Amino acid sequence: MNRAWRLVAVGAVFASLFTVLVLRLWYLQVSTLASALEVAEQQQIRVVAIEAPRGDIYDRTGTVLLAGTVASRRLVIDRKLVPEEREEALINHLAALLGMPASDIRSRFDEAGEGARFPLGEEISESVAVFVLEHIEDFPGIVVEPVPVRVYPQGETAAHVLGYIGAPADEDLERPGITVRDRVGRFGIEKEYDGLLRGTSGRITYRVNAGGQVLGIIDEVVPRAGGTAITNIDFALQEFVERALYDGISLSRRDGKEPVRAAAVVLDPRDGSVLALASVPAFDPSLFSTGRISDEEWARLQETAALNNFAIQGLYPPASAFKVVPYTLALEEEIYPTIEQEQYADRLDPNDPTSFYADGDLKFPNTPLLRDWKVHGLVNIHSSLQVSSDNYYWGIALEVWNRAGLDWSENLLQNWARSMGFGMATGIDLPFEQAGIVPDREWFQYHQINKTGLVRLDGAWSGGDLMNMAIGQGAMVCTPLQLANAYAALVNGGTLWRPRVVAELRDSADRTIFTNVPSVVSLVDIQPETVASLRADLHGVVASDKGTAYAAFRDFGESLSQVGGKTGTAQIRLPYDELVIDQAAVPSWREAELIANLAVLLGESVVEIRAQFEAAGDGATFTLAAQVTEATADFVEERPEDFPGVTVQSIPEVDTAWFVGVAPLDNPQYVVAVVIEEGGSGGKIAAPTARAILQYLMGEEVQAIRGGEDTD
Amino acid sequence: MAVLGEITLKTRRARSRPDLLLILGVAALSALGLLMIYTVTAPRNEAGGLDPAGDMVRQAFFMATGVVVFSVGSFISDRRWKALSPYAYLATVLLLLVVLTPLGTLRSGAQRWIPLGPIDLQPSEFAKPAMILVLAALLSATEGARVGWARIGQAVALMAVPSALIFVQPDLGTMLTFGFITLVMLFVAGAGVRQIALLLVGALIAVAIAFQMDILKEYQLDRLTGFLNSGEAELTLNYNQTQSQIAIASGGLFGRGLSQGTQTNGAFVPAQRTDFIFTAVAEQLGFAGSALVLALFALVVWRLLMTAAAARDRFGYLLGVGTAAMVVFHVFVNVGMTQRLMPVTGLPLPFMSYGGSFYLAMALGLGMVHSVWLRRSPVPGERFLL
Repeated sequence: MNRAWRLVAVGAVFASLFTVLVLRLWYLQVSTLASALEVAEQQQIRVVAIEAPRGDIYDRTGTVLLAGTVASRRLVIDRKLVPEEREEALINHLAALLGMPASDIRSRFDEAGEGARFPLGEEISESVAVFVLEHIEDFPGIVVEPVPVRVYPQGETAAHVLGYIGAPADEDLERPGITVRDRVGRFGIEKEYDGLLRGTSGRITYRVNAGGQVLGIIDEVVPRAGGTAITNIDFALQEFVERALYDGISLSRRDGKEPVRAAAVVLDPRDGSVLALASVPAFDPSLFSTGRISDEEWARLQETAALNNFAIQGLYPPASAFKVVPYTLALEEEIYPTIEQEQYADRLDPNDPTSFYADGDLKFPNTPLLRDWKVHGLVNIHSSLQVSSDNYYWGIALEVWNRAGLDWSENLLQNWARSMGFGMATGIDLPFEQAGIVPDREWFQYHQINKTGLVRLDGAWSGGDLMNMAIGQGAMVCTPLQLANAYAALVNGGTLWRPRVVAELRDSADRTIFTNVPSVVSLVDIQPETVASLRADLHGVVASDKGTAYAAFRDFGESLSQVGGKTGTAQIRLPYDELVIDQAAVPSWREAELIANLAVLLGESVVEIRAQFEAAGDGATFTLAAQVTEATADFVEERPEDFPGVTVQSIPEVDTAWFVGVAPLDNPQYVVAVVIEEGGSGGKIAAPTARAILQYLMGEEVQAIRGGEDTD
Repeated sequence: MAVLGEITLKTRRARSRPDLLLILGVAALSALGLLMIYTVTAPRNEAGGLDPAGDMVRQAFFMATGVVVFSVGSFISDRRWKALSPYAYLATVLLLLVVLTPLGTLRSGAQRWIPLGPIDLQPSEFAKPAMILVLAALLSATEGARVGWARIGQAVALMAVPSALIFVQPDLGTMLTFGFITLVMLFVAGAGVRQIALLLVGALIAVAIAFQMDILKEYQLDRLTGFLNSGEAELTLNYNQTQSQIAIASGGLFGRGLSQGTQTNGAFVPAQRTDFIFTAVAEQLGFAGSALVLALFALVVWRLLMTAAAARDRFGYLLGVGTAAMVVFHVFVNVGMTQRLMPVTGLPLPFMSYGGSFYLAMALGLGMVHSVWLRRSPVPGERFLL
């Protein structure tokens, strides 16, 4: 019957649906049982990594803690354990407890997603942790989890040496065992020795339920703590050096300069130990431990580039402090200047082949006239270093240049410089070290062809460039560490050491796991007489009344006889004049005339000058966008009636101040290099700063830093 | 005369005898459900410091209420049920409207519940038996062998109003249930195969147009697609089904034993006491236990269809088939979902899933059908079929 078959059909369809379910059930439960059991087994296991305690960092005595790890705690939220209807209340409780807006916490929840387990913020105080644990019924799903926090008890002291830790960079993630949740060394020793400091993390394998609650422990691997690093840093010295650098900066400010920063290195020339390495302004490495660094702090650090270690990353022309290299070359190769000496033949010392009359300037073809900073008169190889005669070292460079290819290679000076470590990284055990530049023809051509902006675009590499290099100017740049290391090699008799910050690492049982053995980069063949002469002349710089650091080292103390050094003043910008126009002082009916006069004077179009007037606005005072020569400046000042409202403004030069000191001279134990960037004259600013450090090292009574003589 | 009198007595006794197989089947499923709810919820309640049997006791209370509802449903005659159908329908629509007002509560992104003191009423569950009732009443008015397009239109219109209200909640599972029940009831009422096919095509086109013309608002679309396994919801939904499948598969032939299942004890399967209760059976009692559950459902469905076959009129016949369709659809979609055959639509397993509204709605539906059974005629000539 019609009706019956429809019911039967429906029954058949229903029966077939049940059949499908039973067949599927059979397939799932009986046919694929083994693999399902395996999957079920796996997901009931949770492996928790246990971070190994990061190793401490100590000073050279092993007693002053520079970096350590303390146990802190944070809140972790396990959303699977938070009943949905209690979530809102939980968020409100947390907001009240942590003093955070509830909306912030809500967004953290949303970011993490449903059922996620995530940390809420970073550290919490112990009292907060205790409160949560005591009121756990108000905080469902909240776990107080211990976390290690890196601390730097000395604050900013030695910050650049120690470095800091942070979230891993891409290259860190390629290392085995590093995950995005780890914190790794990002700078300084923390980065260089990350592998040894971080130890080996352990893990616990738990059997858990879906809520993450632990049902039992299956397996446990104990973490191995990281090694303790013993550095070569003398902490008291490091503190002293940093203070001295700040004092040096203040001195420079009082002198009317605008110093940017300062850096210093103290090396032991006997084995390359780094006793102090400072760069100011510095930063507090703890800021990075928690990852909570405020925008203002970050902006401040960026503005002064305080995160960079200028002692190994800052590149400066070494200026006159570089003269020890051509000095050594001259004595070793017996190359002494003879240029422009015919007219002074009667003034020279006939018994001294190194004798030279420095008349204050030197002309080299295709180069502007070079002027020494001072007319020194009769000098020789020894006094030339003490008084820092540019004339003399230009002369040496010219000798090298004129006879290149005949008696020696064109790169004689460069080769000497390189053998002392210039132009290549020293290999110090700190990351991001700069290599510096030792310019030569090849380098010059490369940069000229590729238009890198480092060299002029017309003319070939010339003797003038070599002369510039001989006095440490031009394209020649190095780091303070490189300069200190070169001096160390020169005064120790020719051994160029690899500088070492870390001495060794020890494990928790005090067994040495790593020793940073002293290693020689190269041996420079220098006669003992040359070394003795250099030491004596370095002493002359601070002790002879013509020495450029004589004023700074007056009243040094009894041990002055054991101290030597060399100043350097690197020209960053030459002085120049510019014209300032006060429009308010220009009668309106004379403006057109003034503009016409200025156009004629400067050789520019009236339109351009007028555009500058208009850009400045009515009645404004502004600087005309052009440097003017001294003659032009004089011309303007002599004719105020033609140039109403125009005044000449002299922009002073900007110099970076250097001093490299050595002590004690009989058996050098310390090389001190100090640089004060844009700080002014080496003799006036850097020498007094280094003097204080040398006084400290030599056990003298340290005197307040005061200005020395304005010298090269 | 004497003979006649005997026959009358016999028929009266046969008529009033309850359908013991149906009651036994439902009772067995309910008891098993209680046991499963206990094994699922006890470890978690215990960990939370609550009464381990708390959920089971609450469900037992619902079941006791269900027994009353079933009895009352059986007591009311099928004719009276037919007369009540318009009021039941209107009451349902009214409640569905109330849910959408601020009186209803929003939970897990859906507005389905009316809080009533200690319990939450879920009107969309009661809409299911109400829908069957009103459709049975409507379609029984046709006396011919065929159902005309006009009648089909009326049926679809009746279904559309609560469907639209449920769609807004949203509750896709219930909407699909309505569609399935309507199709099955139209078919057994005599609609042509071609008519049924055209209805299906029309439904598909309507859905396509709704998508195309942006009739669905953005948030509605999100809710809908959330159910359709896409976007952010996918992860959670997939997670549910993966865990569910693992739980089922871990059971093997005879299961791991009560409270021995790691998936169940470890609470790996989300919503296990409600939508995924079947996984608890599968893991703990294995293929044997789950097949038994399916067999019990088949028994219930068979009894419902037998009631339809024995009904004294077209209304009872349609009521029986409609209720059977409701049970089958829930079982298939729910168990299929746990087995990863069907998408996650949130339809509970009849008689076993934790929850009051659905259990009571089922009890009501079965009570109505049982009323038809009690008033059936033992004489073939007095039946609608045969």
